[in-house]
Amino acid sequence: MIRYPSFLIIFVILFLAISLYQIKHLITKKEIELAQIKANINGAKSDLNILKAELSYLKRPDRIEKIALSKLGLKEILPTDIWDLKDLINITDSLNDGEHK
Amino acid sequence: MKIFHFLEVDLKKFNHSKSRKIKLMICGSILVISFTVIGYRTISLASVNRDNITNILNKKIESRAFNSNLRGNIYDRNNKILATTIDTLSLNINPQEVLNKHETIFKLLHIFPQLDKKDLLKKFNSNKKHINLLREISPWEHVRLLQTGIEGLKIQKRSKRIYPNNTLASHILGSTDIDGKGIAGVENKFNSKLKKGENVTLSIHSGIQHITRKLLLDQITRFEADGGAGIVMDAKNGQIYSTVSLPDYNANNYSKILNKTLFNKATKGIYELGSTLKLITAAIAFESKLINENEVFDVSKPLKVSSRIITDFHPLNYSINIPEVIVHSSNIGSAKIAEKFGPNIQLKYLKSLGLTNILSLEIPELGKPQVLMDKKVLTTMTISYGHGISITPMHLASVTATIVNNGLKVDPTLILDQKSKKIKQIISPETSMKMKSIMRLVVSNKHGTAKKADVSGYLVGGKTGTAEKIRPNGGYFKKKNIVAFTGAFPMNDPKFIITIMIDNPKGQTFSYGFRTAGWVVAPVVKKLVTRIAPILDVKPQLESSSKFSNNLLNYKIRGKNKGAKL
Repeated sequence: MIRYPSFLIIFVILFLAISLYQIKHLITKKEIELAQIKANINGAKSDLNILKAELSYLKRPDRIEKIALSKLGLKEILPTDIWDLKDLINITDSLNDGEHK
Repeated sequence: MKIFHFLEVDLKKFNHSKSRKIKLMICGSILVISFTVIGYRTISLASVNRDNITNILNKKIESRAFNSNLRGNIYDRNNKILATTIDTLSLNINPQEVLNKHETIFKLLHIFPQLDKKDLLKKFNSNKKHINLLREISPWEHVRLLQTGIEGLKIQKRSKRIYPNNTLASHILGSTDIDGKGIAGVENKFNSKLKKGENVTLSIHSGIQHITRKLLLDQITRFEADGGAGIVMDAKNGQIYSTVSLPDYNANNYSKILNKTLFNKATKGIYELGSTLKLITAAIAFESKLINENEVFDVSKPLKVSSRIITDFHPLNYSINIPEVIVHSSNIGSAKIAEKFGPNIQLKYLKSLGLTNILSLEIPELGKPQVLMDKKVLTTMTISYGHGISITPMHLASVTATIVNNGLKVDPTLILDQKSKKIKQIISPETSMKMKSIMRLVVSNKHGTAKKADVSGYLVGGKTGTAEKIRPNGGYFKKKNIVAFTGAFPMNDPKFIITIMIDNPKGQTFSYGFRTAGWVVAPVVKKLVTRIAPILDVKPQLESSSKFSNNLLNYKIRGKNKGAKL
């Protein structure tokens, strides 16, 4: 005759078995999701690499130079364009001093 | 019978209790075993099987996913991609699975007109199960293929190394083989790091690399030269901003390039770089203290040593001091200076400057200098003006940096944020200051050989060199030259080194037939400094400012036929 505790034990074992089965499936499902996410990340990384490479190709110094010269009419910066004003004031002052003397 | 009378339990009761205990023990054991099994299974589910599942799934997903272990990128100092790996699609076919060959060929030719009909037919009739039709197809072509629905086609993904800037720094970047293994340049030197997916950041500046290449290429074309090399380097820490070797190649077509183009003239090629080495002679003379600064050397007559006669390109009819020897680039003066300090001191400094060893640069393509070490008087004299010593342009850049960096050794590097090694003092700061002053005069003085390199405000200094090219079987070509310039700017506090070498320029009408460094290389330096100084945040300054005069000495330089008094 099966007693009450035995029922309880069987029930617990069955419950655990079903739970484990569910957990196993849940893990498998999550693993699939994880693998897909990883694959997506790698895919995105690869796409990003392609985009970066394309950007780098478009930003090639020789291409930018051509555009700057022909389309924008830019010219190279000469020292006279960026001369420090303080230097020029100093030299003007020293020249003026020389004249006064 | 009362055995356990002390427990006041009778035998009947005891038997009943024993039986219950045994049952309990059995049930307990079953429970323990069950829970052990369940526990083990739980652990195994959580650990061992996890990997298996991942592996299986990864394999399943692999066909749709991209390669997870992409080779690392190579960046320039501004994080611009110089080399990267992308996944490309290749077109393959299993002819056994193709039902209607002619229709399939027609469809393929419609999408890929570059394919040959006869060749396709031959491939489709073969017994093989896997035939590659195209190594690369574009994503758009891939879509069209899918829309057309051709049976037997197999699209495979594979990694491809690409260099978006084509020719830019191709000699430095190197290349990879079909298996993605680095076979030249940085790709080879940092193969293990890149293979793990780690990135490498170079000290190269893409913009400056392009400007150096363009200006050098223009001048090579103008003077119908065979090639050349150009280097821009940080004068303090040796970081290379640009290193160009011409002719160069498109790094994406490495396997189809001729050996001649692959040769790196800046780091692998060794050349006699002529009078640029007089800088070393003058530095040794100052440093050895065997020669008085005001001592003069008679250069009015050619110098005969053994069977050789040493002459000057610009003869002077009076005795000159060390700064004048450098500014006028006198071979006779240089030889006489070298005779005074002798071969042992010369060799000691050549070794400490690193001119007898291969550089520790981060690429495999490095040249070993060739120096005559017979310690003969003639050899000492010829080495003093750059004959009998063959070095790479990168060696020359390193030496120039050491001379202007207060005498502290500068080792060139291609890697950004490279940990600096223990710095050696090669020459004293006093000698360095004298050398910087003389180098400035070579460019700024009206008698200097590099006047065409002067840029108002940027205080360029350096030394030119014109040497006869060595014949492969010995001796020299009389009409083939190697012309070079090495220098720095701004000379009051040198921040950048510029070394340019051009191989075998031809005299042109616009240069009055001259093909010397002053005509060929100096103008390149001028253009280069003008263009890169604003990028490098070097501000123009007046030569008369105190910042300049406090840091440099003012030597008096006499001109031709003005030898009366110093």
